[in-house]
Amino acid sequence: MRMPLAMLNEKEEATVVEVKGGKGLVRRLSELGLTPGTKVKILFSNSPGPAVIDVRGSKIALGRGLLMKIFVKPEAETY
Amino acid sequence: MIEVALIGNPNVGKSLLFNDLTGGKAHVGNWPGKTVEKKEGICRYKGEEIKIVDLPGTYSLTAHSIDELIARDYIVKEKPDVVIDIVDASNLERNLYLTLQLLELEANVVIALNKYDIAKSLGYRIDVDELSRILGVRVIPTVATTKEGIDKLLEAVLEAAREKKRRKVTIGYGKAAEKLISRVERTILKDKDLSSRYPTRWLAIKILEGDEEILKEVEKSRFRNEILEVIK
Amino acid sequence: MSVKAREVLGEDPEVFFAEKRYEFIAEILPRVLRGARPLTLSDLLDRVFLNKYLGIPIFLAFWWALFRFTFDVSAPFSDLIDMFFSSLGEISYSVIGDEHIASFLAEGIFGGLGGVLVFLPPIFFLFFGLSILEDSGYLARAAFVVDRIMYKLGLHGKSFIPMLIGFGCNIPGIMATRTIDSEKDRILTILVNPLMSCSARLPVYVLIGGAVLGSYAAAGTYAMYILGIVLAVFVALLLRRTIPYFKGRPSPFILELPMYSMPTFKSTLIHMWERGVLFLKKAGTIILAGIIVVWFLSSHPWGVPLEETYLAMLGHALEPIFRPLGFDWRGAVALAFGFIAKEIVVGSFAVMFGMGEESEIGEIQEVIRSEGIFTPVTGLAFMAFTLIYIPCVATLGVIYRETNSWKWTIFAVLYGLVLAYAVSLLIITVGHGLGYM
Repeated sequence: MRMPLAMLNEKEEATVVEVKGGKGLVRRLSELGLTPGTKVKILFSNSPGPAVIDVRGSKIALGRGLLMKIFVKPEAETY
Repeated sequence: MIEVALIGNPNVGKSLLFNDLTGGKAHVGNWPGKTVEKKEGICRYKGEEIKIVDLPGTYSLTAHSIDELIARDYIVKEKPDVVIDIVDASNLERNLYLTLQLLELEANVVIALNKYDIAKSLGYRIDVDELSRILGVRVIPTVATTKEGIDKLLEAVLEAAREKKRRKVTIGYGKAAEKLISRVERTILKDKDLSSRYPTRWLAIKILEGDEEILKEVEKSRFRNEILEVIK
Repeated sequence: MSVKAREVLGEDPEVFFAEKRYEFIAEILPRVLRGARPLTLSDLLDRVFLNKYLGIPIFLAFWWALFRFTFDVSAPFSDLIDMFFSSLGEISYSVIGDEHIASFLAEGIFGGLGGVLVFLPPIFFLFFGLSILEDSGYLARAAFVVDRIMYKLGLHGKSFIPMLIGFGCNIPGIMATRTIDSEKDRILTILVNPLMSCSARLPVYVLIGGAVLGSYAAAGTYAMYILGIVLAVFVALLLRRTIPYFKGRPSPFILELPMYSMPTFKSTLIHMWERGVLFLKKAGTIILAGIIVVWFLSSHPWGVPLEETYLAMLGHALEPIFRPLGFDWRGAVALAFGFIAKEIVVGSFAVMFGMGEESEIGEIQEVIRSEGIFTPVTGLAFMAFTLIYIPCVATLGVIYRETNSWKWTIFAVLYGLVLAYAVSLLIITVGHGLGYM
């Protein structure tokens, strides 16, 4: 069950499944640790603005456009 | 004179370390043809003169941004005697990503494990010897704000610079990937020019990754069709 | 035999290799690192600073504090520098016999040096404050908090720091745009940066506003700052809609929020110094040269009354352009000199009234009032014109260097002039229409 990271709420956790985007974008996010299999957690959401997520121990702020391009599998099973 | 490059993620304390090493006297200019600032300084230690070049702060060495290209080109073309990789001890996981890329680039790395005090205060305990053993490079804990570890760092840099033979550290990418890498490496070796300018394994991986700048270089090679056959 | 790498690896190769590297790191990490990460002060602070509702008010509070700190603390230093160079000027006159040389020394050299150095305190204190905000890690949070609004205004979240710096001086402000990855967003930010009212324009507002706006002088000055921001937004949105190059939304916002840390005095000083020195080197020399030019034009041909100097000739030549706006030849000359450096404008008024460049502001304002050089409406229009028209030469130089394009530099000049004229004319029309003088 995959959904864009943008749809997660604060405190929710998920695993990255795919990053859809141009080569440059995918690579940029990969460097920051956002690769398939990485666990992420939403720390702060300024929806519909950017969100701060925890990626491998660092806090990264991502804009809405990006949050829509990162597809994840939420931790909660009810999805 | 020993040439040393400083590299690291943004926010690791690189500026401060640069100042600790060079005493704050820096010659500031631009990287040729670019608007990115280039800082150079001199450090004198035990009778040796060490030129320190500050590379742009970067998370990785891809062809994505100017900063990364500048850093990468400098290491490949100028072949500094030592590259000091400044790793934020309180953020080890992400910082090591750049370290791995440097090792793949076959740079002569010495790791400055900076913000060591902050890591400790966060409750982290880092096994420095084990890290050094696994990566095959010297790891020196430092605290740039108090200059702790600077002497040991310089000691390590001098040792590394004098070493003739270096242990090559590689990450295994799995059977299937390694086969691909070997194939590309074999074709690269046919081009004497290309294989003398870049570490071949690194070049092969970059080609497989589809690195734009590297692909441009390869396009100029007589053997481009063979080399690029694998990724088409 | 051709093999598709993607098929073999099972996914996009670049993602594959990145993943594998992280896997390697994840494997070795337990052997090397021990200890969990407790809830830190950083996390607690973020709960407050990044709060949906508190975030922006807190940011505005910090911003206000920054500017209060800058102006209040630096004022005594600026005054000291002012007095010092004035005295040097007076000494020159009493010591040197030849009036020509004395004048050159007093008004040209010392006046010039004083004119430049008087701006050093506010600039250094501004950068001191900014460095603290940056090194502590707060600035990244502020960028996050304002991004949502900036995005709607057609600007990138990372534009806000250069804009903030621009309020001190546009030169380091424009150089700070280097952190913006997208070239389009970067150029857009550079183009609107001069609309951030730099500290050099403030004396002009104080002079004119104080002279003709009476009790509304302070309000007039605040209005200029706000006008600048409003226009920046307007221009950004306009350019995005009309110019094909800028079409499309700002590029994606990616920013790491570092851990909060206590900035050291040393590192703050280093950052403050680096940026302040930039201003000194780039702008300082030009301002000094500009003041000497003003001195020369205003006192030559040597010995003639003010109306016959080169300065007056320049003013009269330019006057027709500005007549619809209600500025006379002196206003025209002041603006012309403002092109060299905005810092010179006040001094050039003093010179044109036949007073020494080091005159008291009150005296200059008195002349403006008594001779009716500006009325409340035309004064306001003049302040607006000063805000908008063109960046000073030094800033233009930096714009050229950062955009690497004559096209954009010339565009910056042209749109500034057009917008300035339009807005001033609007103020005049509306003002007179409402029955004000």
